[in-house]
Amino acid sequence: MTEDKKQLLEEIRKAVIEFDEDRVKELANKWIELGYDANEAIFEGLAAGMEVVGDLFAKNEYFVPEVLMCADALYAGLDILRPHIKAEDKTETKGVVVIGTVEGDVHDIGKNLVKLMFEVAGFEVHDLGKDVPLEKFVEEQLKTDADLVCLSAMMTTTMPGMKKVIEMLRERNPNVKIMIGGAPVSEKTVEMYGADATGKDAASALEEAIKMVASLREMKRKKEI
Amino acid sequence: MTPKERVMNTLEKKEVDRVPVFSGMGNVTVAGMQKYGIDFASSHANAEQMATLACSTYELFGFECAVVPFDLCVEAEALGCEVNFYAGKQNILYPTIKSKILKVGEELQVPENLLERGRIPLVKEAISLCKEKLNGEVAVGSYILGPFTLAGQILDLNDLLKSSFKKPNDVKALLSQLVEPLVDIANAFHEAGADYITVREMGAPSDVISPRMFKMLVQPYLKETIAGIKAPTILHMCGDTNMLVEMLYECGANAISVEQKNDVAATRQKLGEEAVILGNLDAYGVIVKGTPEEVEQSVKQAIEAGVDGVMPGCDIWPEVPEDNMHALIKAVEKYGAKS
Ligand code: B12
Repeated sequence: MTEDKKQLLEEIRKAVIEFDEDRVKELANKWIELGYDANEAIFEGLAAGMEVVGDLFAKNEYFVPEVLMCADALYAGLDILRPHIKAEDKTETKGVVVIGTVEGDVHDIGKNLVKLMFEVAGFEVHDLGKDVPLEKFVEEQLKTDADLVCLSAMMTTTMPGMKKVIEMLRERNPNVKIMIGGAPVSEKTVEMYGADATGKDAASALEEAIKMVASLREMKRKKEI
Repeated sequence: MTPKERVMNTLEKKEVDRVPVFSGMGNVTVAGMQKYGIDFASSHANAEQMATLACSTYELFGFECAVVPFDLCVEAEALGCEVNFYAGKQNILYPTIKSKILKVGEELQVPENLLERGRIPLVKEAISLCKEKLNGEVAVGSYILGPFTLAGQILDLNDLLKSSFKKPNDVKALLSQLVEPLVDIANAFHEAGADYITVREMGAPSDVISPRMFKMLVQPYLKETIAGIKAPTILHMCGDTNMLVEMLYECGANAISVEQKNDVAATRQKLGEEAVILGNLDAYGVIVKGTPEEVEQSVKQAIEAGVDGVMPGCDIWPEVPEDNMHALIKAVEKYGAKS
């Protein structure tokens, strides 16, 4: 890698971390003008910057508004870079995810952070928002043929809604992977509700998701052969 | 000493025979709903039912207060938001705001007849009914939201959080406009008979915003709101408050109330003996999920750490097992006596 390129990537990372939206746009345009690979800027610039943001959040140096601002800077860069992704890179999304906070629950701050991490990592994310009627998750999964459904609940009264969604999903599509999360959710809940995994924060949610989708795709591939 | 004297004396830093066990937030239980055959969804729009449920927690368990309402939508509704009460749902779902009415930068129109709108007259009636039922023996409480949390109810929260950075002056203008309606509502509840008012600023803990932003955007308007309220006040905050307690204390409420994420012993050290600190039982993990022994241990720990009143960290969760409620009251009687 040339020095210029390296430095430009470093600057993109820094601009994301400092939530400098205008600077990210400027740098992304420059990257394209120089004829570099868009995918590289997305993953080693924007996403790498966002990873640092995640660490700062975990260390209580950044809080939710800062993370949302960094996300805006990242999206501004994505808007510019995405149209330039090479055709051969386009087909491989990491996976398709449906995410939402279940019915009766308006707590969506945590869900939004999880969604963000998925997007950064290259998943195609369908966000149903908050207070989502339970059947809606099933409909959306079928419509998008999602690999993974992520349910968030912050209250113990809305948690049982997740169990119902899981039952409905399993009935229609036994292969789909299901992750649940939110403050009251534990490993025990995963077991009780018949989900596949949980994550205590957005970073561990992503880690689990990548593992699960990989195994799901492996399974599908074997079936095809 | 009556439960009311115990609570009011605690808030006024006067002598008590023992630590009170009460709340500034919702305290309805499934046991109360069953006893009176009232369903949760309908109680939000019926003053008699609301009062009956609020008082039932004292009747059934000796919990030393009655607090109405149970949801966080009253102010936003009066300002023009539509509310979903989940009528007909079997499980207990708390009311939520259906539609946001404002964007950052837009002028808020406060209706002139604010105090006659939405469920404000109904909550006032429920307060008076509680007063009647409890005969002056038990304190009646009510609550309002803090300005920042109310802003999160009437406009898109992501918009609010980002604007707090990008357009702090617009956010400040909005928050400052929310102070007067909140003060008016609190004072109307006080006049209707509420002995104390809790200001719930649960949208602004360090799980969400930085202490720096709290100081700039949240604290000034909390101070103003609290200064305008004529009743004794409790400032309550859910979530992580360890970095905020000094600022909370400076807001000028009679007492501050915190949840389990707060290290009360450290808070007591920071604020000194004069501060009235309430809390900090885990409303779900311990009071609902724990055994009666765990509830007792938790009460003991909270009192040893230095709370002046034992309080759940948030609304009492309706599904609380009856044995745990009894254990809660008994433990406070056992460990809270002042010699
Ligand atoms: C902010 C807040 C609010 C805001 C919410 C704003 C919004 N749009 O989200 C407001 C003020 C509106 C609110 C309202 C209420 N709240 Co509230 N609220 C909180 C608070 C203080 C912080 C939550 C938060 O945002 N944390 C920050 C984020 C970043 O963390 P997080 O949500 O945990 O998410 C992380 C992980 O959990 C995980 N994760 C999240 N989702 C998912 C999904 C998947 C798939 C995975 C893998 C991981 C994952 O990753 C996230 C990122 O790291 C908590 C207190 C607490 N201790 O948590 C109470 C709390 C959640 N609220 C509570 C209550 C009771 C209420 C109300 C019912 C009060 C009332 N009387 O009406 C209402 C709810 C109404 C309704 N029907 O929904 C209780 C719930 C108690 C219980 N038994 O379940 C809590 C726990 C407070 C307490 N101490 O008891 N609240």
